[in-house]
Amino acid sequence: MNNFAEWLSTTAPSVYMQIHEAWMIPVIQSLHIVGIGTAVGSALMIALRVLGWVGTDQSLLETQRRFGPWLAGALYLLLASGLLLVVAEPVRELVTFSFWLKMACVATMTMIVVTYQRSVKQHEIEWEHTFIRRPGVRVATLLTFVLWGCIIILGRLIAYDHIWGHLSPATKA
Amino acid sequence: MDLTAWLKGLEDSGLAVGIRSSLYYFPFLESVHVMALAVVFGTIVVVDLRALGIASRHRPFTRMSSELLKITWGAFLVSVLTGTVMFTTNARVYAHNTAFQVKMVLLLIAGINMAVFHLSAGRTVARWDQAPAAPGIGRLTAGLSIGLWVGIILAGRVIGFTTTGAQAKEAPPPAGNFDDFLNNSPSSSPAPAQPPTPQ
Repeated sequence: MNNFAEWLSTTAPSVYMQIHEAWMIPVIQSLHIVGIGTAVGSALMIALRVLGWVGTDQSLLETQRRFGPWLAGALYLLLASGLLLVVAEPVRELVTFSFWLKMACVATMTMIVVTYQRSVKQHEIEWEHTFIRRPGVRVATLLTFVLWGCIIILGRLIAYDHIWGHLSPATKA
Repeated sequence: MDLTAWLKGLEDSGLAVGIRSSLYYFPFLESVHVMALAVVFGTIVVVDLRALGIASRHRPFTRMSSELLKITWGAFLVSVLTGTVMFTTNARVYAHNTAFQVKMVLLLIAGINMAVFHLSAGRTVARWDQAPAAPGIGRLTAGLSIGLWVGIILAGRVIGFTTTGAQAKEAPPPAGNFDDFLNNSPSSSPAPAQPPTPQ
């Protein structure tokens, strides 16, 4: 991964962004945070509706139709801005423990979002009347809050990866 | 009272010294700040898009705003607390940082913008609560609100890039890591004056 990151940092797009990093990195990082805000906001609306704490004037499917596309759009924005950040600073991103742990959390979150989205469309009635009352569903919904928290913390820790000690490849380099 | 002396006093407070001497507190505060900000931004945009008539056009505005703005204010309080504590760790540098000053002005304008909304469209909300969008002034302030918050995020991120190492001369950055933490044998110097490099 170290070699790949170093090779990536010599490619033309990476070099271009390194030359203009003074403004490009903060702007792309800010877009990434705007994406995080939009994703968290949308996911929060869906999760709080599943828990029955917010937006109970709308059905689960209506809530999904309102916020699902915004959540998906935000995830695409996060993917695009995240990829740009990796290309701009490959070593800073790829040679860290925080980045890969964050990616594992992101993959888990994406699976949860896609699974829920499909399930609520296919089993609307069951979700509305049965699933929503299951303790497992409620606990899983609460756990998504924890997962979002982990994703945000790990994203910030990319800048502080040395705190992981021997787990961080950066400290071995 | 002399502002610089007061800012220096903040930096010398037990809280600020404690955070600077730890490898973990500052990144933790930053992470909580971003989490709170994500909730503030996310919920404000949901309400603004409703007022603009772009999304949730058929839901009563008052229902959405009363449900969501409680969450917004709670998260805003968390972001103010974490932001204030981070400020104390390097108060003189932040106070003189242009991006920080811009962020504070944008926050103030966002507050005024919100007050304008409440005093204009907010007063007539009974008339347009079920309508697809707020009246003109309400849509204007809702649009401005989204723009201002994107600006606040950008200014906040620039702070991290323009204050890094500003006090590096005073003390070495903290060394030590999670291994030291587990082994309970910190290799860092007792009280570095510089918070961990935020970028």
